[in-house]
Amino acid sequence: MSHYEEVKVHGYDEFCKAVSERKGNDIFAYFSGDIDTQGLSWCPDCVKAEPIVRGEMSHLPEGSVFFYCQVGERPYWKDPNNEFKKTLKLSGVPTLIRYGTPQKLVEEECFKADLVRMMFTED
Amino acid sequence: MAALCRVRHRWKRTNCIQLLTRNLTGTFDYDLVVIGGGSGGLACSKEAAQLGQKVAVLDYVEPSVKGTKWGIGGTCVNVGCIPKKLMHQAALLGTALKDAQKYGWQIPGPISHDWSTMAEAVQNHVRSLNWGHRVQLQDKEVKYLNVKGSLLDEHTVKGSTRTGKEIMLTAKNIVIATGGRPKYPTHIPGAVEHGITSDDIFWLKESPGKTLVVGASYVALECAGFLTGIGLETTVMVRSIPLRGFDQQMAGLVTDYMEAYGTKFSWRSVPKSVDKLSSGVLQVTWTDEQTGKDQRDTFDSVLWAVGRAPETKTLGLEKVGVKLNKESGKILVAADESTSVPNIYAFGDIGEGRPELTPTAIKAGKLLARRLAGQTNELMNYDNVATTVFTPLEYGCVGLSEEEAESRHGKDSIEVYHAFYKPLEFTVAERDASQCYIKVVCKRGGDQRILGLHFTGPNAGEVTQGFAMGFQCGATLTHLKETVGIHPTCAEELTKVNVSKRSGLDATVTGC
Repeated sequence: MSHYEEVKVHGYDEFCKAVSERKGNDIFAYFSGDIDTQGLSWCPDCVKAEPIVRGEMSHLPEGSVFFYCQVGERPYWKDPNNEFKKTLKLSGVPTLIRYGTPQKLVEEECFKADLVRMMFTED
Repeated sequence: MAALCRVRHRWKRTNCIQLLTRNLTGTFDYDLVVIGGGSGGLACSKEAAQLGQKVAVLDYVEPSVKGTKWGIGGTCVNVGCIPKKLMHQAALLGTALKDAQKYGWQIPGPISHDWSTMAEAVQNHVRSLNWGHRVQLQDKEVKYLNVKGSLLDEHTVKGSTRTGKEIMLTAKNIVIATGGRPKYPTHIPGAVEHGITSDDIFWLKESPGKTLVVGASYVALECAGFLTGIGLETTVMVRSIPLRGFDQQMAGLVTDYMEAYGTKFSWRSVPKSVDKLSSGVLQVTWTDEQTGKDQRDTFDSVLWAVGRAPETKTLGLEKVGVKLNKESGKILVAADESTSVPNIYAFGDIGEGRPELTPTAIKAGKLLARRLAGQTNELMNYDNVATTVFTPLEYGCVGLSEEEAESRHGKDSIEVYHAFYKPLEFTVAERDASQCYIKVVCKRGGDQRILGLHFTGPNAGEVTQGFAMGFQCGATLTHLKETVGIHPTCAEELTKVNVSKRSGLDATVTGC
């Protein structure tokens, strides 16, 4: 029984809806390129970062929510006007954010376990 | 003897045992411990780590009287330069919106400003900078500890957490970069209970409303400037002169502009007391020094900007023998930032005689780190540092004030060239440019070496930066005159300056 809740969402609308349902919680979100049937993403950095991020999840604060959000297929992501880029201001995948704060780790920063742990444990 | 060595990890130990263990092991926990995670401390610790040193940085923010606190980054990031410039920008945009209509923009209805929107945006940016520093420290392998540091001896630092837990670190070298905090005029009844300082203004969730700013430093004028600019009724209470230490003619132009643009000034006034009325507003009583009579008015907020005090009280400096300047309370430092104790250094706002500026702290910190790592012997050059006051009419300068040049060289040995100019953008906007002015103070005769350069006008910081490089290279008036201006700009007026004060001729620039 983990001390946090993991929520898997796909796409911008689903992400926003799920977040709005959990206002008041400490929310973390990991954005990744879509996963195929083999469980691999088209985004090689996302494939590399995921086990590292998952490895630090035991450090998530009590009662927090962890969103695993698949952003879409490669062409959707490459479009500079996609909602994640335009509204959430994401610049790349993978991105790990603490929702509602300026705390974020982008691309290679997600490869560093100590940075991930720092985000999960920071006040 | 062996038994004493094993006692190494007991945190309560006598000096004798410490000395013994250090001699026997010869190693410290860290090569460098930096106390203070501001502009200077962070630059120094990151540079040292990059050079292969084992570094720890201790940062702790004692909450302000009102309870305001903030993350890593020091004064500049949290309660200084950054939020100040952003709020100054907010105010300038308000003025620009008014000008916009003359340029053809159709703006329906009256324009109003919402403090909360601005404050949240500014605070979010500051938080992103706090985070950026945290990531950088982690990345560069600098150990960051959110503890209040103090010296136990010349190689031992004690860190106290918010909850009272204590940790010990030993270091080969210790750097103190704890900066300063705003002073409260504690002798004025009600000042501490009811007033706020620059530590609080940028973190207010709601508008400060009708504000009294007490003080005439750049902190006071910059704050009063942006408060006026966003539409708040603001008064500045000045005891004697504005911008002490700066060229006084330029200071006068800055305050003249502020008065013309709506900031009230209460000159030669000394606050006596602050009371909170039942309605919640603050009633301030002050003495008008010219008439000797007492005056009274009410404000929503009172902002004290009456100076800054160095953060040295809780460092344990006396015990360790680090000498302070008795008057200022700042740490006495040599040209290489060393203190009276051999392996303890201090720099930034905490150093006696040092400019209270971020860029000098950063540069000094990096050089210090390089010297401690044996990479260089280069000392920080504190001369020719350019600065800008971000009042509604900005004032940029590098070098000596006219008064300072006169005092050092004698009035007869200097030549002061000046010009009143009008920014092109002010014409269509029908704005008064009476205080837009340039002054170049030179040595008289010979190549007329430039001793000081002063500029009031829009984007003064951007204008002055380039000229500061020329100044650093020993620019003369001839160099300035040989420089072709970029047209149309305000900066080009510096290259065209040719009327001297001595000639008595009209210094107003006319046409192209």
